[in-house]
Amino acid sequence: MERCDVAVIGTGPAGASAAITAKLRGKIVTLFGSASMSEKMTRAHLIQNYPGLPSVSGAELARALAEHLKSMDIPITEKKVNAVYAMDGYFALQCGEEFIEARSVIIAAGVMREKPLPGENELLGSGVSHCATCDASLYRGKNVAVIGYDPGEEAEAAFLSEVCAHVTYIPAYKDDTRLPERVGVVREKPEEIGKDEDGVFVKTDKGTYRASGIFVLRESVAPSQLVPGIETAGNHINVNRKMETNIPGVFACGDVTGTPYQYIKAAGEGNVAALSAVAYLDKNA
Amino acid sequence: MVKKINGSQFENEAMKSAVAVVDFSATWCGPCRMLAPVLESVSETLAGKADFYNVDIDEAPALADKYSVNSVPCLILFKDGKPASRSIGFKPAQMISAWVESNL
Repeated sequence: MERCDVAVIGTGPAGASAAITAKLRGKIVTLFGSASMSEKMTRAHLIQNYPGLPSVSGAELARALAEHLKSMDIPITEKKVNAVYAMDGYFALQCGEEFIEARSVIIAAGVMREKPLPGENELLGSGVSHCATCDASLYRGKNVAVIGYDPGEEAEAAFLSEVCAHVTYIPAYKDDTRLPERVGVVREKPEEIGKDEDGVFVKTDKGTYRASGIFVLRESVAPSQLVPGIETAGNHINVNRKMETNIPGVFACGDVTGTPYQYIKAAGEGNVAALSAVAYLDKNA
Repeated sequence: MVKKINGSQFENEAMKSAVAVVDFSATWCGPCRMLAPVLESVSETLAGKADFYNVDIDEAPALADKYSVNSVPCLILFKDGKPASRSIGFKPAQMISAWVESNL
C-alpha cells in the first residue's frame, strides 16, 4: 500500500467530514473505520440541531454521511488501527500485523466509554497488557488471565491459549462465550488489578485470580495508547483551535477532543482538522 | 549509533559507560521494529552524551529477567552501571531525547 497523504481514523461525523474536506483539497485519503459508520451515531434516536437536517434520526444521518463518502469516491478501510507511530517525516499505522504509512493523521476515534480498572494503567508494562498479539510471546508456557470487554476479544483469548500454558477468561459482558474447552471461563465481575510479592492478580466480586500476566482487552483504545507521545487530558486529546495536537502532523477532531459531544461540533472540527492537515502537508512538501 | 550487544558483552560495554541507554527488544515485536530507527536518530542527536545499545531479550533472557523486563520495547537508562530510569513502549524521537536529557 502506498503512503497516503492523510489517514483518518474513525467513521463518525468527525472522520467523515475530515475525509471529505481533505479529498476536496486534492489529498489522497485513507479512511479507517466501520463501513456501517459509527455505531453510537446509528443508535441515536433524533438529532434536532444538525443545521440543514431538522429532526434527523441517527441512522438517517449515518446513511447520508455514507452516501456522501461514496459519491466522493472515498472508500472505508475496515481495519482496526492499534497504534500510530510517529516516525521521521511520516506515520506508521499498525493494523494487527500490517503497517500502513501516512504523511499526516487525523484522529476521529470518538471517546472511550469504559473506565479503566483500578490498578490497570498503573501496572501496564509490569504484568498488565492491552495487546494480545504484541505480548503473547512473553507469556509462552505461562498462565495468563484475560479480561474481555466484548465478545470480539474471545478470538484473542483463543490465540493466547495456543501460546500460554493456561488462559482464564473473565468476560465483562453477559453474552454466552464461545471459547475452546481449554480456556477456563470465570463468570465474575472484575473489580481491580493488583500486584504483590507473589505477582499480579485480578480481584473479582467473588475471588482472586493469580497469573503471570493479565490482558485487559477492549474494542476502543485510549488515545494515549493509540498514539504514543500524544498529549491527553484523561480520555481526551489536547488540541488548539486548529485541531493540532502536540505532535506535528497529527490532528484530532470530534468527541475525542472533548465536550460538547455533539454531531455538528464533530463535523465542524473534522473540517478544521482536514484544512490544518492540508496546510501541514503543503508546508512540508 | 545503537550498538547491538549480547549478554556476555553487557558487562564490558553498557556497564562501563557513564550513561548507557539500553533498548531491550524482541524480533517478533512490532513496536520494537518501529522504535529502532527512531532510537538510531536519537543516538545521533545525543552522540557524546550517552551510549546506546540494543539487547535481544530472546538471545539474553537472563539479562531481561535480571532487570525485570516485562514488556517490550523497554528502554533502561543506566548511570555508572546502575539502572536509573526506564521508558516502556514506543515513543516519538523528541520524547525519548527529552527523557534521556532529563536523566543526564
